[in-house]
Amino acid sequence: MREVAGYIPEIGEEEFEQKILKFQDLEVEIPLLTKKQMNKVIETVKKGSAETLKSLTVSEIVNIIDKVTDRLLDRSSSYRQKAEKLLPIVTGYDEEMIRLALTSYLKSFRKHELQRFLVEDLANPLMLDDFQPRVKGGFSTAVGPDLITHVWSGNVPALPLWSFISGLLVKAGNIGKVSSAEPLFAGWFARLIVEVEPRLANCFAVVWWKGGDEERENSLFEQSNLVIGYGGNQSLQSLQSRIPITTRFLPFGHKVSFGIVSNAALDSQKAWRTAHQAALDVVRYDQQGCYSPHLFYVQNGGKVSPREFARYMATELDNFRKKYPRRTLSMEESASLASWRQKEEMSLFSNLNKEVLGNSANDWTVVYEEENADFTPSPLNRAIRVIAFEKIEDILPSIKPYRSFLQTVGMATSPKELFQWAKNLGGIGVTRITALGSMTAPEAGWHHDGRFNLLDLISMVDIESSAEEDSERFAPYVD
Amino acid sequence: MNQQQEIIKDLSQFIKNNQTSEDDFNKLALRIFTYQYQNNLPYQAFCRQKGKTPRLVKNWMGIPFVPINAFKEVPLTCTDPEKAQAVFMTSGTTKGIRGKHYHSTLEIRELSMIVNFKERFMKDTEKIRMGVLFPTESELPNSSLAHYLALGVKEFGTEDSCYLLNEKGLDMEKVLSELEHAEETGEPYALLGASYSFVHLFEELEKLGKTFHLPKGSMVLDTGGYKNQSKELELNEFYQLLSTFLGVGLSDCINMYGVTELSTQFYDDGNEVVPSVKSGPNWIKTRVINPLTGEEVAKGEPGVLVHCDLANFNSVTTILTEDLGVEVDGGFLLLGRVQGAEARGCSIAVEEFINFAKGSLK
Repeated sequence: MREVAGYIPEIGEEEFEQKILKFQDLEVEIPLLTKKQMNKVIETVKKGSAETLKSLTVSEIVNIIDKVTDRLLDRSSSYRQKAEKLLPIVTGYDEEMIRLALTSYLKSFRKHELQRFLVEDLANPLMLDDFQPRVKGGFSTAVGPDLITHVWSGNVPALPLWSFISGLLVKAGNIGKVSSAEPLFAGWFARLIVEVEPRLANCFAVVWWKGGDEERENSLFEQSNLVIGYGGNQSLQSLQSRIPITTRFLPFGHKVSFGIVSNAALDSQKAWRTAHQAALDVVRYDQQGCYSPHLFYVQNGGKVSPREFARYMATELDNFRKKYPRRTLSMEESASLASWRQKEEMSLFSNLNKEVLGNSANDWTVVYEEENADFTPSPLNRAIRVIAFEKIEDILPSIKPYRSFLQTVGMATSPKELFQWAKNLGGIGVTRITALGSMTAPEAGWHHDGRFNLLDLISMVDIESSAEEDSERFAPYVD
Repeated sequence: MNQQQEIIKDLSQFIKNNQTSEDDFNKLALRIFTYQYQNNLPYQAFCRQKGKTPRLVKNWMGIPFVPINAFKEVPLTCTDPEKAQAVFMTSGTTKGIRGKHYHSTLEIRELSMIVNFKERFMKDTEKIRMGVLFPTESELPNSSLAHYLALGVKEFGTEDSCYLLNEKGLDMEKVLSELEHAEETGEPYALLGASYSFVHLFEELEKLGKTFHLPKGSMVLDTGGYKNQSKELELNEFYQLLSTFLGVGLSDCINMYGVTELSTQFYDDGNEVVPSVKSGPNWIKTRVINPLTGEEVAKGEPGVLVHCDLANFNSVTTILTEDLGVEVDGGFLLLGRVQGAEARGCSIAVEEFINFAKGSLK
């Protein structure tokens, strides 16, 4: 099986070196541009977006993206079928899990969600089209960059859409570099846009090169106004070192997320559902997302104890094992998972209150620990720690040192606790609070890592009231 | 005679005999397992968690293996750790915690080393003049490698054997005089040490523009990889350089594979072909497993190495390493260490987290 990835605008050349990425019996063919070809792409995208994208209104762009999303939500469309067939092969995740997650994810890019997305950042989205009056006087307009370079990473399917769509909404030219772990979705999306609106054919490109290829990166970064990078801190650091000072850099590093369950959610009726939702968050993408939980803090004092809750979760994870089997792990991942579990088992000797639950094939592991356990990350792939706690204040100090890594907290609490605890957690660096079961599906218009999706991309241009008033004096019809 | 003394007696016999059947190995392995289950309490708790007791384990392959990093967690010993004759520690520095291997006596470890070293490295040679590219035992009292090399020199080195490091690193003056002496006299010479020290040696010799042609019968033994102490070389390049700078045939360049947590070492039969086939004596056996299921992978498939070393009678015989390997005729190939699995998605990987914690929580 062979699939062509990426998208190259019209640069007057059809011959590209093809790089083959292999995924079992699927070969993904992706163009590897020469420096000269890359320069042509840059020039074309800058020109195309300046002439076409910037001439469209933001609501026209929203309508185009809405149509593309419609096609991707339609299970009978060819792109959707391709996605359902190939993404499981490329990423290894379960087919049904990908299908459900794709739908829930794509729903955030329909017209109404995109409108919410816009007003979330810009009280008046028309600012993206033209100067709009300001309350204080004067006028402002929001101008997107000429060229945004996106360096995507990881294997969570379709993840590049967030930044790609944000780039389109601010009318920037976009060049995205796909990750070799999921090289497909961004290219399909680009081609679908062109099918829906052929005039946009030269406004973006989806390409690939080997990370750290300095020659290609340096030249592209130099010509970009903005680089959005995803990845671990080490690779972001190396990206940053090669980005000129005149190009802005928005890094999105790897994150750690977790859950908190209040004893209010632990009566005998509600606890099962709570555990079910928590397990769902673990199973989705096998915890590989930045919003996926590494551990759950569970409060003492409910009808169901934290230890029992850990067992509930074990049962739920075991049920999901059949419904949504885990991705096949590499030898490296298998070894680190097994060694993690065995190390936990070994520590049972010195920690009598601890419990390690798991099946013999290592499909999932739940480690239960009493209070005062460290905030430690999970080796992922369905390994989760449940830590009992008394008061929220008790757990905050151990989490606080990791401020720069914190992102989502899935919570099952009473309304009063929700706001109190959210305040505590926000104070130590958490940027998103959501319900258990929703950790891996951020709402449209969320603040990714606490930042703005669109505001961070644009610059404002102000016409101060003095200029406006002064110009009156020079009007041809002045009296 | 107490239980431990009896095991030591039979084990010594087993090692000296060096011609034993699978059945003999099995019997002794199970006997030691029972002994360890009874006397090594953290190990007992671990076996119980796995639902494996001496009653249920029928052969050596069923003995529960402990992950090598467990030596960092708990004292794995059948005797009082306070009374250990020696404690060897790993150089592993994750969070600054080092794995500890307690030896109630060094008798078996030394016997294992001597018998095996003679067979795989010395062969027909009784004594040879040795140069050691590693610190001495008194400089590194907790290093199993320092102890190993010191024992090698004591048992098999001529009186003129010496250490070639000083406080600054390589003692080049001494190195050069030793190598020149060997070349001039024609007396075979053996250079032993950590792989990374050899890399430093290459760099020095290159600077000086010197190469040697050591006399026939000379040998080299390297071990341990590079551990970020020097630039990483491809195996092939490494042995080519060894041969170029020292003039020793590739078949006389022996690599020893050993870990602090074991009491027996593996060797190859030279490095004309890399990676070379590693094998051990008949008191250690290796399985290549799928770490998730603990079951053996098909022969020829890569997996993680589990060693069952009877000479580890005081700690735990059966250990899950972090080494990737593949079973081949006559032994196994080492494919490298299992690196921390890298992040697939955008969630943080344990390694990155630990590196951060090391950096910020000191």
